[in-house]
Amino acid sequence: MEIKVDRNIYSDSCISKVVYLLSKNYSIERSIENDYEILTIIQKTDEEFDINEFWDKMNDFKLREIINTETKDIKTILYAKAFGEFDNFDENDFD
Amino acid sequence: MISTDSYHILPFNFIRIKNNEVLINELGDMIVVPNGTACRLVNKEKVDEELFKSLYANFFITNNYFSPMMDVYAARLREKKSFLDNFTALHIFVLTLRCNQNCVYCQASSQDEVSKHCSMSFHTMDKAVELMFKSRSPFLTMEFQGGEPTLEPKLIRYGIERAEEINKTENRKIDYVLCTNSINLTEEIMDICQTYHVLISTSLDGPEWLHNKNRGKKDSHEKVVAGITKARTLLGHDQVSALMTASEEGVLYPIEIVDEYERLGFNSIFLRALNPYGLARDNSDWDEYTDKFIEFYKKALDHIIELNLMGRFFIEEFAAIILRKMLTPFCTGFVDLQSPAGIINSVLVYNYDGYVYASDESRMLAEYNDYTFRLGSVDDKYEDIVCGQKARELGKIWCNETIAGCADCPIRVYCGADPVRNYSTQGDAYGFRPNSWLCKKNKAIIEYLIELIVMRHNEVMPIFKSWLV
Repeated sequence: MEIKVDRNIYSDSCISKVVYLLSKNYSIERSIENDYEILTIIQKTDEEFDINEFWDKMNDFKLREIINTETKDIKTILYAKAFGEFDNFDENDFD
Repeated sequence: MISTDSYHILPFNFIRIKNNEVLINELGDMIVVPNGTACRLVNKEKVDEELFKSLYANFFITNNYFSPMMDVYAARLREKKSFLDNFTALHIFVLTLRCNQNCVYCQASSQDEVSKHCSMSFHTMDKAVELMFKSRSPFLTMEFQGGEPTLEPKLIRYGIERAEEINKTENRKIDYVLCTNSINLTEEIMDICQTYHVLISTSLDGPEWLHNKNRGKKDSHEKVVAGITKARTLLGHDQVSALMTASEEGVLYPIEIVDEYERLGFNSIFLRALNPYGLARDNSDWDEYTDKFIEFYKKALDHIIELNLMGRFFIEEFAAIILRKMLTPFCTGFVDLQSPAGIINSVLVYNYDGYVYASDESRMLAEYNDYTFRLGSVDDKYEDIVCGQKARELGKIWCNETIAGCADCPIRVYCGADPVRNYSTQGDAYGFRPNSWLCKKNKAIIEYLIELIVMRHNEVMPIFKSWLV
């Protein structure tokens, strides 16, 4: 089975995370053709590949990626505030 | 003044449970919202005022990244990791491999009762107690394990007396725990327990026929129950706790096991799966066992909830640990569900062989000549043991915030990292989550608890809250 994924929509990181999650039951070969990534899926077990579940996972990981990117700086600040010995951050420390 | 018109999102993840979306933040707070809410928040769509207030109050969104509320967030984040503040609190002393039972699932590679050369020396005990006091924790737990530690009463007494002596100047709060099968609670052992307020942690696998089958003895259940009764009489009812291990046979009898604990007057049970060490490592099919254990756990938990609904206060301890992470601002001291992992940070093991190991499971591997998690000798310097090369290598992979398969997991904050288990089951301490039995089991149990909270909220929440005390 082959799936075409538009790399303008889904990042390498997003695809990698879904491939990682599915790798118990499937061998997935990845190749790039222009703006698309082609995933060739081979079953390792009797478990049928669920294409709907695949796209659900892709969309969830894309959403998580957006959240992580948007909150990366505040997360760093919160962890630094929590575990560092300094708490004098202000707007100037924020990219 | 809070404006509902514009907002920033704070770090969170989400999971879908029964057509609901559950948002979970870095603090472990969760909120059940309609499907699609995470996407709406990312798109900064306007949400209704009540939902906005909940999201704001629970640290999922903010109007201002630099508001004083962020200091509160940081303080709560620190509290969630406060188990790190004082370093190692649990110190396990493996006194001997000698044992008086033949458990089918023995994880500790126990030896026959009359075996020689598999008990701790007094020199090792001396050095181990000194190392324990090197930890800066104001609370220390000195836990005696085996084999069957009651077969070494002189060593128990010596270890406790040594600790008491040192503690005259150290002034720590020390709890003593004796992990015993309760078969050999002699006068000498009971005298030690009474004198030093030693807690008894025993093991009981369920009804008589099941327990005896697991233990490879015809009268084990009778003797254990007699031991529990004796310990309760002499030490007090609450000084005795028990935990069970679900053998391959045991996973078929969830109701019977819970009922046996209830019948014997326990107020709680710890539903514990087999660990892949010792004899248990030979279990035929761990994938199948994990699936059966998950079913077992759910049925047993449902039954426990029913008991509580009928007015009987009865706790499932593993669920209670996870619920504390979900429903309170505090951390737990449970070493198996911590990130950074419990090894070294929260537990050290002083083995009968004179060496220090990163965890109980680490010393079990050593019985198969695998010394990967041997940190050093009791004669070594404390700093070389807890900050040595091995400890530093482990430090690179003991945070689930940073390892593949965990970092993006929505329920990461309720789970933990376990490099020793990864190594023993997958041959690699970093581990591979997609086919990890531990990941599968923890995920199933945590998701089931969330499902119960979502689907049976009014029924289960009063029960779950009563377990948090």
